[in-house]
Amino acid sequence: MTGRAPSRRRLDIVGWSATSPFGTGRAAFSQGLREGRGTSAPLDHEQWQVPAGPACLVPDFDVRKVLGKKGTRSMNRVTGLAVSTVGDLLAELDRPGLTPETTGMVLGTTGGSVQSTLDFTRGSLTGELPYLVDPGLIPYGVMNGAAGQIAIWHQLKGPNATLAAGRSAGLLALNYARRLLLTDRAEMVLCGAAEEYSTARAWLARHTAESDPDALLLGEGCAMFALTAVAAESDPVAQATASLVGVKALTSSEGDWEAVVRRAVGQLLDDAGITPADLWAVSPSAAAGAAGKAEAVIAQDLVAAGGGVRLPVAELLGEAHAASAAFQLAAVLGRAEADERAAGRFSVVTSTDEAGTVAAALLRHY
Amino acid sequence: MDVSDVTAPSAQRSDRDRVVVTGLGVFSSIGVGLGEFTEGLRSGRNGVSPISAFDTTGFAHANGCEVRDFEPAPWLRRWKQEELGRAAQFSVAAARMAVADAGLSDDELRARRVQITVGTTDGESQDLDRLAAEWVAEGPQSWAPQIAGRVGAGRLSAAVAWEFGLTDSEAVTLATACSAGNYAIGMGLDAIRVGDADIALCGGADAMCQKSFAAFYRLGTIAPDFCRPFDKDRQGILTGEGAGVLVLERLDSALARGARIYAEVLGYGLTCDAHHPVQPEQSSIARCVRTALDDAGVRPEDVDLISAHGTGTRTNDVTESRAIREVYEVPPRTVSLKSMLGHTMGAASALAAVACSVALTEGFIPPTINHRETDPECEIDCVPNQSVEADLKVVQNNGLAFAGNNAVVVLGRYDGDRTPATVAG
Repeated sequence: MTGRAPSRRRLDIVGWSATSPFGTGRAAFSQGLREGRGTSAPLDHEQWQVPAGPACLVPDFDVRKVLGKKGTRSMNRVTGLAVSTVGDLLAELDRPGLTPETTGMVLGTTGGSVQSTLDFTRGSLTGELPYLVDPGLIPYGVMNGAAGQIAIWHQLKGPNATLAAGRSAGLLALNYARRLLLTDRAEMVLCGAAEEYSTARAWLARHTAESDPDALLLGEGCAMFALTAVAAESDPVAQATASLVGVKALTSSEGDWEAVVRRAVGQLLDDAGITPADLWAVSPSAAAGAAGKAEAVIAQDLVAAGGGVRLPVAELLGEAHAASAAFQLAAVLGRAEADERAAGRFSVVTSTDEAGTVAAALLRHY
Repeated sequence: MDVSDVTAPSAQRSDRDRVVVTGLGVFSSIGVGLGEFTEGLRSGRNGVSPISAFDTTGFAHANGCEVRDFEPAPWLRRWKQEELGRAAQFSVAAARMAVADAGLSDDELRARRVQITVGTTDGESQDLDRLAAEWVAEGPQSWAPQIAGRVGAGRLSAAVAWEFGLTDSEAVTLATACSAGNYAIGMGLDAIRVGDADIALCGGADAMCQKSFAAFYRLGTIAPDFCRPFDKDRQGILTGEGAGVLVLERLDSALARGARIYAEVLGYGLTCDAHHPVQPEQSSIARCVRTALDDAGVRPEDVDLISAHGTGTRTNDVTESRAIREVYEVPPRTVSLKSMLGHTMGAASALAAVACSVALTEGFIPPTINHRETDPECEIDCVPNQSVEADLKVVQNNGLAFAGNNAVVVLGRYDGDRTPATVAG
């Protein structure tokens, strides 16, 4: 039967990787972060039919160059980013030690690839007949297309899920992975989130901008994490650099973002029996508008109460929507791995989404 | 395992760990609300009509299973209808109906930790259709901000939390295509089992759209008239729409407030084919069924009814029935609700789970309608055309999807203090 004793388990993070505007892989991500390097760059407007202005793209990312020409003819950018990132993550894990049937995959998204969805429907609307559409696009016009391709490419046959949760998708994916492990539905779960830059996304962002649309700076990419459950008292898994202590997701239904963010973080710290002084770092999501301001206030309060450093992420990588919280997690892990003062201490990642979700995760560094 | 002990894991579980269904909300082409829906299931109603959601010019045939005259407004208290796309209107309205059916007030809901999980294939699909049309006509610079602002698929679940004014609520949209409703039920179950939530509102929602119809049409899988699962002359699916939402809570919580219990969620299983983007794979489906039965603590011979994914395509029906036979020496009766409801995408397995709950409570098996002659390659009794009375204790609900996302949920009848799902013999 499924286990129902989360208190007796610990979830170790045994690997991670990222494909980001810093470049491809964990090392490039950590280095970019250490240097505090901004990634905003002018766009090639011949390639991108988008509003004027820069963006933070994964440099030189071309699906067919990265993954080869076999099986990638119709593959969209978000799928390429996700398949490639999982490949990098698996390369650093003990691949032969993984059982395909018990290895899960959880991918967070905003809406899959809105570009692919709209391209497909535009094809139906403009074709000679409405069904003369490219069948190769069909799997990518559905939101679980990327996670399905990850499974095929990397032969992952355990629970395979796609969560749509906007900016908080990375943390909700982490929580879903946590439950899969606590209920013994998988021995290892690869989880994270991906977002592609596209014409459709650029225009959606512009039409829904909370503040000056000309100040929008979109990012993209994917970060993936490998988690496994171990007995709470056991030593850390060899390659683990942190464990996931908890995830708390709430909803801001009354408009008071600050109170809800404070509550989510407060509950995590209380449940773990720690205080802000035990924190090594805090990473707010830097969302636009009131939600992001609320996160910033809570982060400031935590830092003022001894809660370590505040890690900027979106300031360097742009607004990565579904990938944003996954990038924050990667940033916390990457920076902590290079700082021995992090050992034994904790970090908080917070995220908010315009639909109302407030999510926070608590990590403990080894 | 000893025969007398077959259901022991469930029976021996404390009331705190057992999870039951105490509320049902349903919008479907064969009925809105549990009464109409039950009557539709019992009488074998066909939800088919000519598609009205989009211009079908150019398609040789265009039948579907729409929710005609859907009126969300009476169900929306906080939201204004125009603030939500049709899919979110479905999810919010079905959640409202399910919560009312469970006898919970908004205040009672707000006092609990609520997991909200809504499965979907296409998200806010009619809005996305509109954006595509607008792109063709004028370009994306002319998109309406209101439509652009509501296409995030996360809204299908977040809008439910906002409607009830919930704070202590994790709202997640599961975008695992046509098995997403079962994924959502599984996630609700686990959130309660691990102690993250007291109650779960889970299910699925999708709205009829051109994108899905054109895709299935292009694949040659849209039936010209009716959906005839497991029939030797079947010609494919009919796309449909709607929503089903189930209220799940711990048994002790349900008993304490004297709630009506429709069914017990015994367990579920998830597997991924890792084989093909749109073709199902037999062994992976069979593995999913075994995983679900293991989780539920039941053996194949304990299962009285299978609600099949049963789309009505040759590929699905043959592969799925063979997978069932791989697990079951003698399969129980196996019906396809899609014969009546069409393929409601992310809502499909949620609506099927509602139907399974009704079947357990009311003691009948809904039929596979439009049936003439069973395909000899599908060696199952699909209960053709007429519902039958049946004493059901355990029901298995299959959900399969593009991307090889398989999800199977097992429901059991709740018989008060008696051991649930007692094995006969």
